[in-house]
Parts: sequence; structure tokens; C-alpha cells
Amino acid sequence: MIKKSRTFTLAGSLLALLVPMMAAASPVTVEDDGGHELRLDQPAQRIVSLAPHITEVVYAVGAGDRLVGATQYSDYPPEAADLPRVGGYSRIDLERVLKLEPDLIIAWRSGNAGSQIERLRDLGIPVYVSEPRRFEGVASSMRRIARLAGTAAAGDAAAQDFLDRIEALRDEYAHRPPVRVFYQVWEQPLMTINDQHLIAEAIEVCGGDNVFGHLDRLVPRMDREAVIEADPEVIIGGGMGEDRPDWVRAWERWEDLTAVQRDNLFFIAPSLLQRHTPRIAEGTALMCEKLERARLRRPDR
Amino acid sequence: MTRAFLLAIGVLLPASVLAVLVALAFGSVAIPMAELLAVFTDDASRLHSTLVLDLRLPRALAAFAAGGLLGIAGALMQVLLRNPLADPYVLGLSGGASVGALLAMLAGLSMFSVSVAAFAGALLSTVIVFGLAHGTGSWTPTRLLLTGVVVAAGWGAMISFILAVSPTAELPGMLYWLMGDVSHATNPYPAWGVLVLVVLLALPLGRTLNVLARGPMQAAALGVAVRPVEWSIYIAAALITATAVTQVGAVGFVGLIVPHMLRLIFGNDQRVILPASALAGGILLTLADTLARTIIAPEQLPVGVITAMLGVPVFLFLLYRSR
Amino acid sequence: MAERPQPVARPQPHRDVAEARSVHEAPGPDTLLATRNLVIDVPGRTAGAPLDLTVNPGQCWGILGPNGAGKSTLLHTLAGLRDARAGRVELQGTPLAQHARRDLARGLGLVFQKHHDGFPATVLETALIGRHPYLRPWDIETAQDYTLARRALAEMDLSGMEDRLVDTLSGGERQRLAIATVLTQDPALLLLDEPTSQLDLHHQVAVLNRVRTIAAQAGRAAILVLHDVNLAARYCDHLLLLFPDGAACWGPTPTMLVPGALERLYNQSLSVGEIDGRPVFLPTIP
Repeated sequence: MIKKSRTFTLAGSLLALLVPMMAAASPVTVEDDGGHELRLDQPAQRIVSLAPHITEVVYAVGAGDRLVGATQYSDYPPEAADLPRVGGYSRIDLERVLKLEPDLIIAWRSGNAGSQIERLRDLGIPVYVSEPRRFEGVASSMRRIARLAGTAAAGDAAAQDFLDRIEALRDEYAHRPPVRVFYQVWEQPLMTINDQHLIAEAIEVCGGDNVFGHLDRLVPRMDREAVIEADPEVIIGGGMGEDRPDWVRAWERWEDLTAVQRDNLFFIAPSLLQRHTPRIAEGTALMCEKLERARLRRPDR
Repeated sequence: MTRAFLLAIGVLLPASVLAVLVALAFGSVAIPMAELLAVFTDDASRLHSTLVLDLRLPRALAAFAAGGLLGIAGALMQVLLRNPLADPYVLGLSGGASVGALLAMLAGLSMFSVSVAAFAGALLSTVIVFGLAHGTGSWTPTRLLLTGVVVAAGWGAMISFILAVSPTAELPGMLYWLMGDVSHATNPYPAWGVLVLVVLLALPLGRTLNVLARGPMQAAALGVAVRPVEWSIYIAAALITATAVTQVGAVGFVGLIVPHMLRLIFGNDQRVILPASALAGGILLTLADTLARTIIAPEQLPVGVITAMLGVPVFLFLLYRSR
Repeated sequence: MAERPQPVARPQPHRDVAEARSVHEAPGPDTLLATRNLVIDVPGRTAGAPLDLTVNPGQCWGILGPNGAGKSTLLHTLAGLRDARAGRVELQGTPLAQHARRDLARGLGLVFQKHHDGFPATVLETALIGRHPYLRPWDIETAQDYTLARRALAEMDLSGMEDRLVDTLSGGERQRLAIATVLTQDPALLLLDEPTSQLDLHHQVAVLNRVRTIAAQAGRAAILVLHDVNLAARYCDHLLLLFPDGAACWGPTPTMLVPGALERLYNQSLSVGEIDGRPVFLPTIP
């Protein structure tokens, strides 16, 4: 799975070398997720990304070489680690951003401070505000960012590839017998997601059923006893790093839980599921694999 | 004294049992009363006995013990400083504990290490406040209180700093800890041990504290060894607070409001106030945690929000009504 | 050049009257309180005359002196609440430091000039804390303790106020309550710091009569800081004059009532009269 994505990134980079020559010097007009119409006289040459997932998307659409700055934790692809930093996404260092002389800033509406986005706009720098919601939004973001960067062909291809992979998973798994899933974002406090969340879409694609999908809040803080009563068939832990946190195994204390009895306590690295990037296709594939494993562990089989 | 003692204990002890029962009966899963009773006679479903005995009972007991400890720590601090405004919060103990806990979280340590760090932070704050307040001269309650307030402000700044530099994923956990959260208290028995010990030690000390409340000179003239008693109280209050904060995070208001409310009702005999503060603090935190679990069930609120929302109006009302 | 400013005119002491001379008395086996070369620690004062006081049972001592002379400091030092700069204080033949704090509180009791009430308490509760030195940690006040407290309150004319909160009392009532508390404490030696400063004349006389009666009992004595020379002359059999420069003299009252000494003590010229065969001092009005 990981090998495949590497090739895909490489292909994008190759395309990126060709595309700008064809699209150079033609003005582009794009509407961002905030409803702002953005017009660039020519594709952006110096892009600053204000969130880790945006950095990742810019690379994915073959415009990585246009990036001149990014926020902390922009750790994928590995070469992003060398980009000049402009602070954390919740507190941007405006002076550093200006020093980089960007001709396009890509911001994240729910992560960046609104006042800072306004300030950058007032300074006359074009700001594209990104707020992808569903998988479709991730693809659409990719297409539009690619257009701004002058890598429309590479972007369209990458977006289509992403959607195709999701659709393939959907065709394969969405109609299999449903699996009741509890996705645990965090342990202290105990947090999950509702059906509006990107991860919930991954669960849905894999034929899963998010046990707390009906709640109002995007990331509700849960009472443990509600989880025990819901008795999910699968518990999937996220957390923060690339390693499984201890608290996934801690559910074993509740031996009556179906998920515990069938050993369906899984971990998927949050970097593959929680970021609005094409890599979520990998995370979704892992999710489908885990849920399928849970189906195979059903006693009636 | 005997009458007030019997009245306070006679009211608060049954109320404590009732509070724990309420905590057992309510939660995000509705359990009918008959089922609830069956849990104790082994006839209940496994789900219900798991919920009640493995989840709600340890949590209710942890909330009660921590509330009781905070209540009694507040009562002790107020006598020590002869100031009804003193509580572990004001004196920087909770702040030190919070900084310790947040640093441990930032370092990605386990929940156990977070507790240890909180304990260490509270003790460190104690040493700083008492050491600085002592200074080169003698310490007065005002000086101690002022030192505590300033040190608490320093901790506050450090808390803001840690929050500012922490990765976003850690923030909810940190904020919950700062607002108080009983959900991670799984083993209430050490705190109960401390609570019982403290009440047993505080009871015979009650009359001495009554005398001490009238000032160190008057107390010394009446045969109290003032300095050793004051040191003991301060160290005890620090240990008690550290134990409570380790259990439930930085829950505010219990230590401030509970002893004061009891004074307005039962008078100011420490032999009544100290055990009553333990019981009433326990009741308050147990009920507040039950509300935190049920108001927007199956989601949860931080319990510190509830103690403040319950405590502040009740306190203001009693204060307004009192002479 | 202008004339140099003249020092402000000060009242001239009556040089024709002899200075008072201290009467040293050696402590005996019954002596209640004795000081040996005691120099009290008054902040900012470098020198101080060493005090060798001997307070025997049945005596009532008055301490006279202007503001800041160290009267309260002396009283606190005698009670062991403050360290002396030099010398020592002995209660019943044993240095204070060798007494346990609790035992000391049965041997001597002190009424402070100021009263701190940290938290609201009732009048009866306040009087009752006088029993603290007699109770062990687990003890609860007995009916007898309550009887003692109520009797002391009655003696201080506070009957019927048992349930009042202390902070609702008038200044005089609060002062009488402090005295009632020390009467409940019932120590061998009473130390009273300006016990009558806020009392009306009737209560001043009542308090001083009561104190003198107690001091006259077997094994008892009292030491009072007073501002009123005439009251001190009436009620005290011994006087200690504390001068602002640290000098001191003491002895039986008649030997201390020397107009020159008193004028120097208060930096105030006095007119002397005589009532009932005793001298009476009034400030001279220029």
C-alpha cells in the first residue's frame, strides 16, 4: 500500500515538471471553501501552506517545488520537513510569512485564526481558504489548489486516482455485513467522532457503522459507560503518534465487550486517517482490512 | 459543640450515602431501580453489574474521596491563614500540581506519571510558598496569602505557556485536566485511606485549631505550641491537596466554598467543621460528577465546571443571607 | 544672622522632689514570678535597664509608662510569648523555657490589648477557650467547664449575651469578654494589658476590684499595665515605672508615687492633691 503511494507521488512530481511550461502566464480563477473568488494573473510560484494537510496536498498535486514555507508538523512527504517554518497553525508567525514573499497563501479555516487570515488578506496577499469536509472535498481541494499552482493536469490526475481508490474500496466493502465501530480519537478525555467527520466516511466506505455517529458534536467527549453499553464489535484507536497507544489495549479490562472477546482492538496511525489528504485512502484501506478481519472473527462463520 | 457535631454528622452522613447511591443510579445508561438493587445481590445482567460496580462505584468513591480531601484542605488552610478566602487554589498548590501534570502530559508520559508529577508539583509549590513567605523574618498570614497568590499567578502563566506550545492533540486532555475530571480516577482506595487518616487526625486537633483561629499570640497564651502546629497544618494541607488533585485534576471551589457554607450553618467549631467539610466536600463532588456524566449524556462535561456552577450561586446566596 | 532656633520649651521636672528608687526584693520559696537581669527586646532601643522583679503571691502589680516604653513587650516577655534580649523569667522557681507550653498556660494567663477574631464565634465559645490548657486532645468540654465560663461571664456582667456573636459586641463588651476568658482560664498569675482602656468608670472599678480579689487569694497574683496613675495608685500594691529611654524603677506603691519621677515618666507636669490620705495626680494646665 505504502509502496503504491510513493510511486504515485513520484508520478505527480514528474508531471509537475512538464505542466507549468504549458500553463505558464495564463490567469487562473478559483473559488475557495470560504466562498471567496480568487484570481491570480499567473500560477503561484511562491506558496506558503498554513496547515500540515495543505502541505501534503500541495505536494500530492505536484506543486511541492512551489512551496516556500509551511507550518510546524508539516512532516509529509519527508522533504516537507526541510521547508522554512512559519509557526504552528493556530498561531502563525506573520512576519516570517511576509519575509517569504509568497504570492499565494493556503489557509485552513477551522485551524488558523480567522483574524490572522484577514490580516494576510489585508496585506494584499492572495489567500485561499481550505476547509475540506468529505472525501469529495479532499479531491476538489486538490483540483483547485493544483489550478492555482499551475499543475492542473497533475492535480486532476491525483484527485481522480484518490477517488478511484476510494470507490474501489467502497465497491468491495460498503455492502458487506455492517460492523459496529467505536473510533477512539483520544483517551484523556475519552473522545470519538460523529458521522460528519472524515473518519466516519472511511468507516462507512468499509461497511462499518459508527456507534456514536448520531451525536451532535463533531468530536464528542464520551462517558465510558456509554461505550460499554453500545458494545461495539470493533474499537479502533487513533491517538497522536505512529505507534499504538497503550489505551487501546486497556479496553481488555472490560472482558464482556464483544470487541474484547473477539480481540478486535485495532490501531490505525492517525496521520493516515485524520488529515484531509489523499493519504486517507491508505487509512481507509487499512480500516477496511481491520473491519474485514472483524467479520472473519464472527463466531457464526 | 456536641449538639452541632451530632447535627452536622447526622445530616451529612446519610446525605453522603445518598449521594453515592445517586451516583450509582444515574449515568448515560438508564438502569431501573430494581436492576440497580439486583446488582448487589448478583442477579443483575453482566452489563449492569459491570456499569455499576466497575465503572460507577470506583468513580463515585474517587469523587467522594477527592471532594472530601479538598473540603478539609480548604478548612485547614482557612484556619491557618485566619482568612476565609484561603484555599488550595489561592495558595498556588493546585497551580503547582497543574504545571507538573501538564509537563508530564507534554512529555507523553503515562497517566500514572502524570499523577506523580502533579503530586510533586503541589509539594514543590508548598515549599516555594512557605519558604518565600517565611523569608528572613517571621511569616504572617497576610504575607503567606500574598506569596501564595503571586506564586499561583506564576503557575498560571506557566500553564498558559505550556498550553501555547503543546501540540493540538494534547490540548483537550490538558484542558480537561485543568477543569477537573474524575474519569481517570480508577483506584479510589489510596485517597480514601488518606481521607480517613486525615479526619481521624484532625478531630483531636480541632479544639487547638479553634484557639489558633484567634491568632498565634492568643493561641500561645492558651498553651498551643503554635509553630509546630502551623507547620503540621500546612504540610498536611499540601499532602491532602496533592492527593486530591492527583485523583481528579484541578477541581476548584470545593475547598473554598464547602467550609464556608458549613460555617454559615453550623458555626465555627473546627471539631464540627473539619469532619463536616470532608463529608460535604465529598457529597458536592460526587453529585457534581454525576451531573457532569448525565447532563449531556452520553457526552461528558469537566466536573470543575459543575462545581463552580453549583457552588458560586449557593455560596453567594448564603453569604447574602448571613449576618 | 537670625537667631538660632530655641528648643521647644519642655515642662521642667520638679527637681526639688527626690527621684524614686527601686526596691529590690530577693525571691523567696513562694515567689510566683521572678525576673533575673531581664532586658526586654524593644525594637530600636539599644540599652535597657535589667529588671529584677519579684512578684509574690497576694501582690497586685501595676506597670506604668508612656507609649512605646515597652509595657506590652514586657508583659509578653513575662508570659513567654517573646524572647528577652538578656536575662530570664522564672515562674514558680523554674525558667519559662523549661515549662511545657500547656503547663505555662495554667500558671499564667494574658489578656491582650487587641483582640483578633478570625472567624465569627459566640461569646460563650470565646470564654470557653480558656479551658483549653486543661483539656486533652480528645476531651470535650464538661458541664463544669461550661459552669466556669458562665460564671466568668456573669462576673464580667455579660450574662445573657452567651449566644451573641463576638463581632457584634461593643469595644467595652469585647474587652470584658477577653477578661472573662482569662478568668475561665483561671491561672495563678494574671497578666492584663490595659484591661480597662475601653471600659466605663463603673466597669473599670468592677474589673479592678475583681482582679484585686483574685490576686489576694492564696498562691495568686496579678500584673496590670495601666495608663491611669490614680487607678494604679488605688488598686496596685506595687508599681513598675518604665521610662522611654529604657530605665526602670519599681517597688511598693507608696515609694513610687514620687511626683518628680511621674513627671519624668510622662514628660508632663503634674499637680498633686490628696484624697482619703492618698496622693492624687492631675495634669497641670499652664
